[in-house]
Amino acid sequence: MIGTLVKKEFLTNLVAPRFIIVFVLCLVLIPFSVLINISGYRERVAQYRIDRDAAEKAAAEVRVFSAVRPEIVLPPEPLSIFGKGISDQVGHRVPIRLGEKPLLAEGKTAAGDNPFLASFFAVDFVDIAAIVFSLLALLFSYDAFSREKEDGTLKLQLANTLGRSTVLAGKLLGILATLLPVLVFSFALSGLLILFARDLAFAAGDWGRIVLLFAASLVYLAVFVFIGLVVSTRAKSSVTSLVVCLFLWVLLVFIVPAVAANFAESFVGVQSRDNLDRVLRDIDKQREETVSAAFRAQGIPEGWNCWWCSSGEDGYMETYGNPRDGFETFRRRAAISEPIRLDYADRKWAPAKAYADSLARQARAADRLSFASPTGLFRAVAAAVCRTDLAAHERLMDRTRRYRETFVGWLRGKDIFASYRWITSADPATFKTTDELIERRTGGEFKSERDFDAWAAKQPDFRTRWLKLSQVKVPGENPDDYPYLDVSDRPRFEAPPGSLLSGLEPSVVWLGLMLVEAVILFAVGYVGFIRYDVR
Amino acid sequence: MFRTVLKREILHNLYSLRFLISLGLLVTVFAAGAVSFVRSQAAALEKYRATRGEFFQTMRARASQGATELAVRRQTFTLKPRANGFLGDAKERYLPNAIVYSAWNVFGFENRSGSANPFLRKFDELSWTYITALIVSFIALLFTFDAVSGEKETKTLALSLANAVSRGTLLAAKLASAVLAVMAMVLAGALTSLVIVVALGPEGVSAALAGEVLGYLAAASLLAATFAAFGLLASVASRGSNVSLLLALSFWLAFAVVIPNSSTYLAKNLFPIDSSETVEKNVAAAFDDLNKNAPPGSWMMNSGNPFLPQHELRADLQMKRMLAEKGIRDASVRSMFRQFERTRFATALSPVSLFEDLGEAVSGGGYLRFRKAWADMHVYQKQFLAFFKALDAADKASPHWFNPHENVSTTRLPVAFEKVPQFEERPMSFADRAGPAAKYLLINVFVLAAVYFLAFVLFVRYDVR
Repeated sequence: MIGTLVKKEFLTNLVAPRFIIVFVLCLVLIPFSVLINISGYRERVAQYRIDRDAAEKAAAEVRVFSAVRPEIVLPPEPLSIFGKGISDQVGHRVPIRLGEKPLLAEGKTAAGDNPFLASFFAVDFVDIAAIVFSLLALLFSYDAFSREKEDGTLKLQLANTLGRSTVLAGKLLGILATLLPVLVFSFALSGLLILFARDLAFAAGDWGRIVLLFAASLVYLAVFVFIGLVVSTRAKSSVTSLVVCLFLWVLLVFIVPAVAANFAESFVGVQSRDNLDRVLRDIDKQREETVSAAFRAQGIPEGWNCWWCSSGEDGYMETYGNPRDGFETFRRRAAISEPIRLDYADRKWAPAKAYADSLARQARAADRLSFASPTGLFRAVAAAVCRTDLAAHERLMDRTRRYRETFVGWLRGKDIFASYRWITSADPATFKTTDELIERRTGGEFKSERDFDAWAAKQPDFRTRWLKLSQVKVPGENPDDYPYLDVSDRPRFEAPPGSLLSGLEPSVVWLGLMLVEAVILFAVGYVGFIRYDVR
Repeated sequence: MFRTVLKREILHNLYSLRFLISLGLLVTVFAAGAVSFVRSQAAALEKYRATRGEFFQTMRARASQGATELAVRRQTFTLKPRANGFLGDAKERYLPNAIVYSAWNVFGFENRSGSANPFLRKFDELSWTYITALIVSFIALLFTFDAVSGEKETKTLALSLANAVSRGTLLAAKLASAVLAVMAMVLAGALTSLVIVVALGPEGVSAALAGEVLGYLAAASLLAATFAAFGLLASVASRGSNVSLLLALSFWLAFAVVIPNSSTYLAKNLFPIDSSETVEKNVAAAFDDLNKNAPPGSWMMNSGNPFLPQHELRADLQMKRMLAEKGIRDASVRSMFRQFERTRFATALSPVSLFEDLGEAVSGGGYLRFRKAWADMHVYQKQFLAFFKALDAADKASPHWFNPHENVSTTRLPVAFEKVPQFEERPMSFADRAGPAAKYLLINVFVLAAVYFLAFVLFVRYDVR
């Protein structure tokens, strides 16, 4: 008997114009979102390649260890085509520095080359699914009973030897039989678009995750079918039922998530970035003072003098052509300053982490508040499934910090801060004294520094001193005279392999919540239908 | 006759369930938006004041170090959080809001880190503009989608037309009543919001606000009318109210969801610009070229002696470098503006996008405000430079070799900070807003007229039986 009921429901739905329109809607909106996001993904891959190659080149073209600063470039997540989560607003480049631990990723966001485009929003498959599937569910369930009551066919049905439970089951299965093909079709269409897109390769685990996304969509759909069912059993007429359902739709799908984000932003404050920058600057100042004090204690002069040198941020220092004691001073400076830099990176981490935590707290609050709507739950589950949620990003950033520790361990293992290799490519065996250097540079004109200084003191233009010393080009006094450093043994950052179920623990709870919602709504709808006045 | 029909339609709307639900929903959302605005505005102002205080402190310190120090060091001017942000936030959170400049150049802009939380998915502030664009458009459709097809089903349509009422009058009355009903709700919501903002807001309201509120109401009625017209079109384009509803929903999805959200894609594919890598490469190439052709000794430096002849060479080189870089970067910024504006124009196809642009013009914020501040900053920079040059000319100990990046070969005397001209953001004038608004208005009126005319033609041919 139930088979007949399901078949009747299915056929009634199938011939209704709403089925055609909804089907066309899916046919237009789903490919629209997938194609746009495939294009966005390609763009991110292209950018990833540019950044990765630049990072590789920069890491390979160094001559001293103080210049070795790997930059991690995180590959884009293929599943972001389905749900981009926060992946296109957090950046993907993580430079590894000695003076600080990685806090936030850098690099281009969705706005690409034009920061003004950041004010444009974009939807993905998950957004469209959240909007269209809920609408679909409501459109097919709002008049489940009220319409048949108006037409008088409900009385007729129940006049047969049919239990109300059977009628209800028949209705629901009929709706399911109508909606399931639309759902399957939407996912299949997206899958096909990805399969046939050139240069897109999904791993088996990724396809598995899409199946999980499908399951979550099914639960989401069920929640809204039951919402429609409950409204239908309460409303006096199908028009009332429709109006109530549509308002519920706008409320749950659009307004609740927006209010959640607004309230999280207003009531869960984040720390000021400017303030953090100030605190970090102060710690850096303290570091400089500590370093100066250590130099004084070791009798190292404050200023420095060099033949050829280049210095930069985060302790980069490269120098050539100095006398032996000049090199020695630079070596001793680094041996003192760099370990202190590493210590202070640990100190800078506490305020930096507090800042990042406040950002995360706000984002999580927005998520939690949006759980008032099934749409919020569905979005959170989908982002976790697509590995584009905040938790996935935090896991990646944790990995980059662990990598930094490994990298620092590698440097320490070489005892490199106290080595000449930290500051120069020149072989210590070739270091000369000042007198030797002056003799070579002046082509033997002066034998010692004293002779030279005596001559230089008599020159009116101090530039003559420099010109005299530049007369003879001595090899090995310029970085171009040396090959690049071989740092092939440097530890590499491994992006985590995307396993099927990793990082899904919280989503199980959220999916469970959605299921509980579905069950409760079903129970309310069931009771409502049992007590329904069919006349 | 029109008035009788209108009265009937209005009463019909007022007594309907959808009116009650819409009213409750709108007032709640308006109130929630106002509360949220009041809270976040207070926090934003606090952060802004701290940043601004630090800015003045740094400037003062530089002025006491020397006029050149003040002139050549880069400074960042941050835009103040807008007091009328509850009217329309214009997505300012995601737009650049700070301009980097010195006396010599306006270098560029940045989105001050921290103005948007990167971990929080991009969201719309519940400003009047957003609420109207999303919900009012929906409600307007909901009030009209069954205006004709629904009455046909309940058989009252044939009855109405049996009287001496022309079809045009009936349709116009339906449109007018829907707009009036929707606007009554908007008014209730807006008043609630205003009361909350005035009572709890961190700042007083300005006199200009009255005009802005009126402008907003006018724009909102235009949006309501446009969507009501689309609803009527859906209603007369189909035989049953079921189908009209789906048509109306499709319109809404297309205008409120699809078109606005394809902006980034459109921008990148229809109006591509040079990548930032290309721009950097061009700058580096220009620098290389200038360095290669610079006379030897140009980079020689001795800050102790202002009259070192090499300072003149280097000042010349640095000036050329700055001008070369400025040329490349300004062209890049212009291309960004162009890309953004063209994309906006392309999405003006959707009345929702149009309304958001109109809302931006009415509240005087967002991109328009930034463009004005950007242009004004260029004017100010020239004044600042003239001021600095006058100071330098008065200093006999200065060699007057202008170097935009260094402080060695121009005046080293300190300057009283109070005398230094400061950049003040000027409020958006009526003309600043009316210009862009007129363009959007024109498009919107055209769309409204076209849709209503189409609905009218279809209604005239409609079989009311």
